[in-house]
Order: sequence, then structure tokens, then C-alpha cells
Amino acid sequence: MTDINKNNIDNITENNKDEIKIEVKNLNFNYGDYHLLKDINLFFKKNSVCTILGPSGCGKSSFLRTLNRMNDYTEGSKLTGEVLLDGKNIYSKSVDVVELRRNVGMVFQSPNPFPKTIFENVAFGLKIHGIKNKQFIEERVEKCLKYAGLFDEVKDKLHKNAFSLSGGQQQRLCIARAIATNPSVLLMDEPTAYLDPAATATILDLIADFKKFYTIIIVSHNIQQAGRISDYSGFFLDGELIEFSKSGDFFTRPKDKRTENFITNRF
Amino acid sequence: MAETDNHKKTGDPNNYFPVNKSYIKRKKIYNRIAYGFAASAFILGAFPVFHIIYSALIIGYKYLNWRFVSTLPTGFPIGAKGGILNAIVGDLYLVVIASCLAVPLGIGSGLYLSLFGKQRTNSVIRLLNELMIGIPSVVWGIMGFYIFSTNAGLGFHFGFSALAGGLTLGFIMTPIVTLLTEQAVHRIPASYIEGALAMGATKWQATKSVIVKAAMGGIFTAVLLGVLNIIGQTAPLLFTNYYNTGLPTGITGPGGAVGDIAMLIFIYIHEPSHILHYKAETAVVVLLFFVFALDIGMRLISWLTVKIFEMF
Ligand SMILES: Nc1ncnc2c1ncn2[C@@H]1O[C@H](COP(=O)(O)OP(=O)(O)OP(=O)(O)O)[C@@H](O)[C@H]1O
Ligand SMILES: [Mg+2]
Repeated sequence: MTDINKNNIDNITENNKDEIKIEVKNLNFNYGDYHLLKDINLFFKKNSVCTILGPSGCGKSSFLRTLNRMNDYTEGSKLTGEVLLDGKNIYSKSVDVVELRRNVGMVFQSPNPFPKTIFENVAFGLKIHGIKNKQFIEERVEKCLKYAGLFDEVKDKLHKNAFSLSGGQQQRLCIARAIATNPSVLLMDEPTAYLDPAATATILDLIADFKKFYTIIIVSHNIQQAGRISDYSGFFLDGELIEFSKSGDFFTRPKDKRTENFITNRF
Repeated sequence: MAETDNHKKTGDPNNYFPVNKSYIKRKKIYNRIAYGFAASAFILGAFPVFHIIYSALIIGYKYLNWRFVSTLPTGFPIGAKGGILNAIVGDLYLVVIASCLAVPLGIGSGLYLSLFGKQRTNSVIRLLNELMIGIPSVVWGIMGFYIFSTNAGLGFHFGFSALAGGLTLGFIMTPIVTLLTEQAVHRIPASYIEGALAMGATKWQATKSVIVKAAMGGIFTAVLLGVLNIIGQTAPLLFTNYYNTGLPTGITGPGGAVGDIAMLIFIYIHEPSHILHYKAETAVVVLLFFVFALDIGMRLISWLTVKIFEMF
């Protein structure tokens, strides 16, 4: 553990600090007495895609949720260490959680549109932040639906219920919803878990495209997928970060035997 | 027989799948028994309802006309002539007053319990709430009498009145609305609220614009069941409102008491007069009609609100 973590920190000092969007330092996370995440150190570069891999139950989702403080609502959870977003610890007292979550968007494992119209699903993120200008909202909704590659399919039924969409369309709606607040980071927890290959491909293309605007951290079970779209990859096992490196190295020359086993078993 | 041997011809021949034929026979019988139980339980449960409707109609149909619901009771003993307008108006007063207390309080506590509070405090509140549902309504009546009607209690001097009766009924209704609202919110997938919070909504924004809308149907049901429960109450009214054969002139003090259909039935049945006994049955029909209309009406309103809210 410590070796790898030291390497990470060395990597960071080698790299230009300005390029780092999120830096996680000595992160420990507990559910009550259950010490899940153990001393995690890593960083995410600006405008890169990073995939988090690992077997089921190793703490991937929990880790992702520490990055936008969604764990705040889990009773009995405890966190130590730092998560620096643009150099500022998101767990420090002065941080505005609402603004943090506006800036760090999240897409969930299963599509979870609100029981509202397609339009209102995307407009929600604007309205909760006090935006009232109708024209602005309409333009932004259209723009986000276009970014998410959904606009052409829904332009004639913007005022129909979001549940009338297919699973893949719902997930793209959730992506449109997440980018409506103009975040700089997108967290995605297995966004394609429940989708068929065609819908998955559409969403992966989106992600590759989104790098221009966002720093993307994606949890995935699919190793091919991770290799294809990500710049960095991290491997979690039992709440420890076993390996974290550029995807090229990660998949071709894993440093740790356990990473290698995980990758080869799945290929 | 042949059917259960089919496994020998399918799949891996070395992978024997042991079939317990007598168990297969038995499980079908169990299934039928369970079905029989369910069906007879339904019939047993539904029988009294149909019997009440049937006997009320058979006896009460004589007086069932427009005048019965549109005029005040007159004659001797009072009610021998005229209708039950006093009781219908009185129920309206009571339901409105009780709802003014129980709807905001019940929905508020239900939402609080399901979304905001800490686990430990919540389980205490939940326990208290269930205890409150278990308190006999006559006890509520005595409490209401002490608090609202007498001069002894907390300084309210409402006398026997719609306000005292309505508020007492409101206390009975509140825990029911609380419990059912909480359950309605619990049925909402957690992913809705997580989705809203993850976009930077405050808990209140998430509650107001996502949770309440999604739970709207269930919250309407909560209010409906609360109202239906208090419409049938008599014991609490005995001590806080009793009964008025005319229309109220206020909601407190002398002239503040109102009629009530359930109380009317209770009183008429105790009078030594056949006419009043018949009229009590007619009143049962009217009460059942109101319950039915309320149910349909609330469903309609709830359906419409859900439809309308979807657009925002
Ligand atoms: N709210 C919670 N309270 C207590 N324990 C939890 C809670 N949520 C998750 N856990 C536990 O933490 C561990 C990691 O869960 P997590 O959801 O982070 O795993 P994961 O890596 O995302 O798994 P998967 O790939 O199956 O989604 C699991 O053992 C789980 O039981
Ligand atoms: Mg997970």
C-alpha cells in the first residue's frame, strides 16, 4: 500500500500542480466501525478521464461519494484526510456544499430521472440555484440535451414525462441534467451498468467527447471500456488503492500482481 | 408421471436432478389451500360491508330524498320531521377544523420523520406516534374536554363547540396522517432525493420539488384515511361538542356546537321512536355516500394534482 501511495505523491510533484483538479490525501472512510477506505492517495488531472476499477464491494461507490460529499447523509459515517478541489479542501468548514455539488456533477448507476417532464428534469438544476430567466433556461436545456446527444430524439416531446424514455435515453437525460449546472467535474458510477451495448457505446462516445469540458471520474466494471476511454486508471481492493497510473501502463504493465490478476481474469 | 420424468432426457445426463413427486403434489395442494383461505377471508371481511349497505337501504330508503339532506330536523321527538342538514353542515365544520390542525402537522411530521431527523430520535417519535394511534377515542374525548371545553384546562374556554370537537378530532387524525405520509415518502426511491441533492439542492428543495410531488398520491391517501377515520367518531364529540339540532351561530361558546352524522345515528337509535330508528338508517346511507364521494373525489383531485405537478 504505502509504496504505491508514495509513487502517487511523487507523480504529483513531477507533474505541473496547475493541471491537478482533485487531489485526495490520506483519505480514510468509515461506516460506523467498519473501516472501508484505507489511506487513499491519488489525484485527478484537469480534463482527463479516470476509471476506478475493482471487484464488487471494494468501496468504489463509497469513494466516489466522498468526492461530492454525498456521504454526509450516511449516518455513522466518518471521514479523515483531505480532498482538495482546485487546491481547496472540500471538507473544510468554509466550503459551501451546495456550490460544491453544483461544481461536481454526479451520474448514478441506474438512471434516476425525476418524475417530471424531460424539460423540467434538466431545468431543475438551474431552478434550484435561483435562475429564473425563462429564455436562459430554455436555451440551456436545449444545449445540455444536445451535448448529451438526446435532443433530436426528444425535441418533440420535451413536456412529456421522463419515464416515457428508454433506459439509455433516461441515462443520457441524467447526464444532461448533471451538466446543466455547468460543473467542472463529472462523477459517474457505472453509468452504463444497465444499458445494452448500443446505448453503452453512445454514452462512452459522449464521455470521450466530454473531456474537453470536464474532469471525469468513472466507476466501471468493464475493463475493455476503461481501457478504451480513460487516461488514468485506479484499482481498488478491499478499500485500498492497489494501483493508480496512466491507463497505458496500467493495462500493459501493471506494477502489482493483484492488478494483473484482476485485469487478466476479466479480459 | 411422464412429465416429472422429463428431466432424464434433458440437460447433462450425468447431472441427476432429484424430483420429489409427492412434494410436487403437496405443493399444489398447499397452493389451493392458501388460495381458499384468502378467498374466504375476503368474503368474511366484505360480508359486513355489504350487509350494512343492504340493511341500511332496505330500512332507510323511505326517507331517502332531497329534503332529507336539505332541511333541518323538526317535530317531536326532534327529527321526527325534516332532515339532517344540521349534521351534514356540522360534519363539514368538524372536518375542516380537524384538517386545519392535522394536515399541516401530520404531513409536516411525516416528512420530517422520513427525511430529516436522526435515527434514534425518529424511532422515539415513531413509537409515540403509534401509541397515539392506539389511544381509545374516548380518552381523546376526555382530554379534549379538559383542554378545550372546561375553564380548568389550558385556558381555552371553547365550551361544547365545533372548535373544541374539531381540534380533538384533529388530534386523533394527526398521528394517522403522520404515519401514512411517512410511509408514502418511504416508498419513493432513495435515488430521487440523492439525484436532487447531488445537483446541489438543499434538503428542503429536494423535498418540496421532488419528494412531495412524487409522494403526492400517497399523501392524499393519508389525508383521506385521516378524514374517513374522524367522520365516524362519536366518543370524542360526546365530551367536546355533543350535538346541535340546529345550525351553529359560531364555532365557540354557546351556539358553537354542531350536529354530526355519526352522533345523530347514535342519538336517534337511543330514542324510543320508530321514525327516528328508520331515519338513523337513512343517515347511515347518507354517511356511506359521503365516504364514497370523498374517496372518489380525493382520488380525482390526487390524480389531477399529480398530472398538473408533472408539468413543473
Ligand atoms: N450505507 C452503508 N452503511 C454501511 N455499510 C455500507 C454502506 N454502503 C456501503 N457499505 C459497505 O461498504 C462496502 C463497499 O460498498 P460500495 O458500495 O462502496 O462498493 P462498490 O465497490 O461500489 O461495489 P459495487 O461494484 O458492487 O457497486 C460494502 O461492503 C458495503 O456493504
Ligand atoms: Mg457501487
